[in-house]
Amino acid sequence: MTVRIIADVLIAIGAIFALAGTIGILKMPDPYSRMQASTCIPTLGMLGAMLGALLIAIFCKEDAGTAVKIAVIALLILVTNPLGSHAIAKGAYKAGIRPEKKMDVDDLGRDLYE
Amino acid sequence: MRKTTIPAVVTTFVVCFAFWLLLTWSFATQELIAGAVISLAVALFSARFFIHEKAFWFCNPVKFFNGLFYWLCIFPVELVKANVDMAKRCFGGCKKINPGIVKVPVDLKSDYGQAALANSITLTPGTITMEITEEEGQTYYYIHWIDVTAPSGKEAGDAIKGTLEKGLRRVWE
Repeated sequence: MTVRIIADVLIAIGAIFALAGTIGILKMPDPYSRMQASTCIPTLGMLGAMLGALLIAIFCKEDAGTAVKIAVIALLILVTNPLGSHAIAKGAYKAGIRPEKKMDVDDLGRDLYE
Repeated sequence: MRKTTIPAVVTTFVVCFAFWLLLTWSFATQELIAGAVISLAVALFSARFFIHEKAFWFCNPVKFFNGLFYWLCIFPVELVKANVDMAKRCFGGCKKINPGIVKVPVDLKSDYGQAALANSITLTPGTITMEITEEEGQTYYYIHWIDVTAPSGKEAGDAIKGTLEKGLRRVWE
């Protein structure tokens, strides 16, 4: 029973961080800041939900196959997410997308795309 | 083009086979043999892309436990700190931001170390690695930072990745 409560609390924490990331995506002023806010969702939002699911799978359902698959899903999201973020940010910058309010410090624009 | 070496094939085979076991989670003889054959074929073709440096790197126990310590203790703490900070900004109306792209020097030498550090930085909310360049033997990252509090150079580098880099140096240097 206590395990079930801990798992539910973890899932709720994940949901809160996912909500924060969603608010950030909707309200941040420029594409790069939006991408920064969205990183909350696949890190703590996903990890909270997956840890909760893992606890339920191990202690309530007692199903090793499901538990291992949940762990593999979490690992794959953690490995692939930064690759996507990096490629999208670099591609957007190369395509000439700049924030409306000029950035105070912009070394990449100064050094490589002048 | 890099040549395929036997240690590289062995390492790739072990990784592929472990992944097969995790995905299928069955220990019937047929499935094990099928997995071994497929893993060997994949290893023969892709080992030269997968292994760039010494193949049996993680057989050194000190490095292995330093790596475990990094991924299970140092990195999650930084991740939670950055997440709480970012969640506060989001719930506060997204007003307290000062975005910019800074250039910071990185002291890690090995390919794996640099890739791991860049991915760790990108995975932390608030910083995204955008480009890696090398000038006169010194590696630089261009990092998009949501709240620029220090000018480019060593100071910004310590604020963004000081702890992460220290942990990774014990694994790969």
